[in-house]
Amino acid sequence: MSDDNWPTPLPRPGDDDDPGTEAGVFAVFAPPDDPPAAAPLETDEPSEAAAASATDEPSEAAATSEPDEPSDTGALGAEPSGAGLSVRSGPPAASGVGTALIGDGGADRVVGSRRRIGPLSWIGAVLLGVWLVAMPLTSSVTEMRQNTQIIVMVLAVLGVNIATGYGGMISLGHGVFVAVGAFAAAYAVDDLALPWAISILAGAAFAGVIGALVGLPALRIKGIHLALVTLGLAIVFQPLAKRVPAFSGGVSGRAVGAELVPPSWFGTSRWAEGLYRYLICLAVVALAMWLTHNLINSRPGRAMRAVRDNDTASAVYGVNLVASRVSTFAMSASLAGLAGALGIVLVPFTSQESYPFQESLVLYATAVLGGLGSLWGSVLGVAIREVFSRIGELLGGVSGLGPLGEFLRLLDEEQFVFGVLLVALTFVFPRGLIGLFNRRRDAPAPPSDQNLKRA
Amino acid sequence: MNWNFEILPDFIFNGLRDGAVYGTVALALVLIFKATTLINFATGELAMLGAFFVYVLNVEQGWWLWLSIAVAMAVSAVIGAAVERALVRPFDPDDHLPVVLITLGLFLIINAVAGDIWNYQVRRVNDPFGHFPSWVPNGSELKTSSDGTIACLKNADGDLVEVARGTADAEMCEMVGRTFFEVVGARLHYRTIGTWIGLALALIALAIILGKTKAGLAFRAVSSNAESARLVGVNTGRTLGFGWALASVFGTLGAALVAPALGGVNPNMMLTILIYALAAAALGGLDSLGGAVIGGLVVGLIKSVLVSWFGVVVLGQAYFSILQLAMAFLLILIVLLFRPAGLFGTRRIERV
Repeated sequence: MSDDNWPTPLPRPGDDDDPGTEAGVFAVFAPPDDPPAAAPLETDEPSEAAAASATDEPSEAAATSEPDEPSDTGALGAEPSGAGLSVRSGPPAASGVGTALIGDGGADRVVGSRRRIGPLSWIGAVLLGVWLVAMPLTSSVTEMRQNTQIIVMVLAVLGVNIATGYGGMISLGHGVFVAVGAFAAAYAVDDLALPWAISILAGAAFAGVIGALVGLPALRIKGIHLALVTLGLAIVFQPLAKRVPAFSGGVSGRAVGAELVPPSWFGTSRWAEGLYRYLICLAVVALAMWLTHNLINSRPGRAMRAVRDNDTASAVYGVNLVASRVSTFAMSASLAGLAGALGIVLVPFTSQESYPFQESLVLYATAVLGGLGSLWGSVLGVAIREVFSRIGELLGGVSGLGPLGEFLRLLDEEQFVFGVLLVALTFVFPRGLIGLFNRRRDAPAPPSDQNLKRA
Repeated sequence: MNWNFEILPDFIFNGLRDGAVYGTVALALVLIFKATTLINFATGELAMLGAFFVYVLNVEQGWWLWLSIAVAMAVSAVIGAAVERALVRPFDPDDHLPVVLITLGLFLIINAVAGDIWNYQVRRVNDPFGHFPSWVPNGSELKTSSDGTIACLKNADGDLVEVARGTADAEMCEMVGRTFFEVVGARLHYRTIGTWIGLALALIALAIILGKTKAGLAFRAVSSNAESARLVGVNTGRTLGFGWALASVFGTLGAALVAPALGGVNPNMMLTILIYALAAAALGGLDSLGGAVIGGLVVGLIKSVLVSWFGVVVLGQAYFSILQLAMAFLLILIVLLFRPAGLFGTRRIERV
């Protein structure tokens, strides 16, 4: 229990990796006091689907229970919600996880209702596939490197997504972990002369350790307060990193001496080198995404989401809150660190200059733009950001239009374009672009977010 | 260990001056937090914009400085209200996520636009509190020392203190002598006093607005309980707009007061100040207006006395000077960890 105003300050996304999100809505109509044989946590699909119902459940439970008269429903979580209504800061949605964890009610309806892949998703998948193949074939070496950097950035955004979308901990400081991963990998590959594979892992691991340390305060600090702390971390990091030249290269940054060169049979041209690095990075990103997907849908992942939806109730059901929160943050940080480590494979130079705190804000905003609680949302967020920044660059190149030209010049500023995009898309898709892909004809409107609501 | 207590008052004055600025900006944060339980991450950038208005009106257009500041505050108020109306009000006030994104987006936009218009160089501004007005008696006097060079001496508390030596001439002596008092052996700069006066006047104005006017009453009602306020007929939307306008005014005031001390205005001037202001607001309690001011002064004192004086002077460790920002961060962390309500904030009880 915390003294915090936001009991569970989490974005409540439509988990698209989760077969049966929509089906979870039906679980609401199952009487909460009628739990059939409690399914163990490990049960694969049903309990997972029910976990998704956790969002929808609370509103119903809260509606049915009178403020003065705690509901006598059997589901453990429902009772607090009644009490919660009578105090100003009580959590509006204290129920749900109990049902989620024991796999209640509508779980059986879920079996077999796999998410259909909509036409938009197909188009997106095809576009992505074509781009991944065509890009190295049609780009110059420099363009290929830049595009690979964009692909790598998906990992950092995914890291934010894990912490915020799945773990419910707002992080405005993930740029710090990207930087730490890059510094650690550079240190490992240069100063310790370790092979690249180990150095990259070392970068991710070191960022993970730092992430675990940052995750410790998140045990008590939640919601917008945590946003404040992580923002502070992001702002403080750059001046501090300047003063640790052995690690970060200080003010001037550090050049990485070692180079990742392809085996001789791969070719020795600069293009072949670029292609090799592109393939390596793509493989690592794909592998990391696959591992993340599996983790999200395994027991720790379900625990993560249960803690996000209601920490007290999950603790009651045996989730170790400390372990869950810290490991979530560590994992999300190590994904960001991996992005940083891959970054120095592509550009053998790193400096605190490359990680101003705005970078952290951009990472967070990209994750939210794409859609929290969805792996592909992170990919989509990066893609959209990139597309618009390219459009901005194109328009920014147009000159000689008087005052309009002045405005167009502004479009050259990536930060400006992204800021406008952020504001505009927040109006149109407050829960992220991924909603566009998941919408189904018969799907009800997504429930409003109980968890981020002010008590 | 070099317990140099002689220079300690200097550090205290500096700390309290910076602290007054942090308190002013923290007021802007708290005003918005009180009304919406939302941290406006664009507070610093809105304030920076206000400081640039002062720069444009005063330096570029040549307006009278005080008129420039007043006009800039008014324009900021309009901008704050407009931002609230256009970008914040359309969203569910109880749902934080979109509004946090909006303020982050605003942050990036304002920073980029200001960078585009004025680029990132520091631009000198005029100091509203550079020199004492001429009606204040000036204790400095010109003396010729034994070796023939001219020294500018300032008389305070019966002591003669050297201000400038060598090239000092009468005019310079008059100029320098008018920037500070001598108090307990330390220099109390006019700029410091001016910042305190600015903060005090702002607090008095705020107390009158919130305590005596109808809009202030509505604001207090909404920040106490928005739902009930709406039920008794308060126009919550307009009231929140009023709160944003008020917050922007305070932000602009803080930025205008601190700009001369920073050497001028530039688009990134408020970044570090925002962190100190956040620390001040967290320390005072995010929903306490008085707490914000006291928190600001305490943060300024900690930064100046604990880090700069104790760390750098007493311990002789120069690297302490870079720990100022880290100190602000640690303060935020510790306060939120162990006393989330801060010193004066409302304790919130969570029941499950």
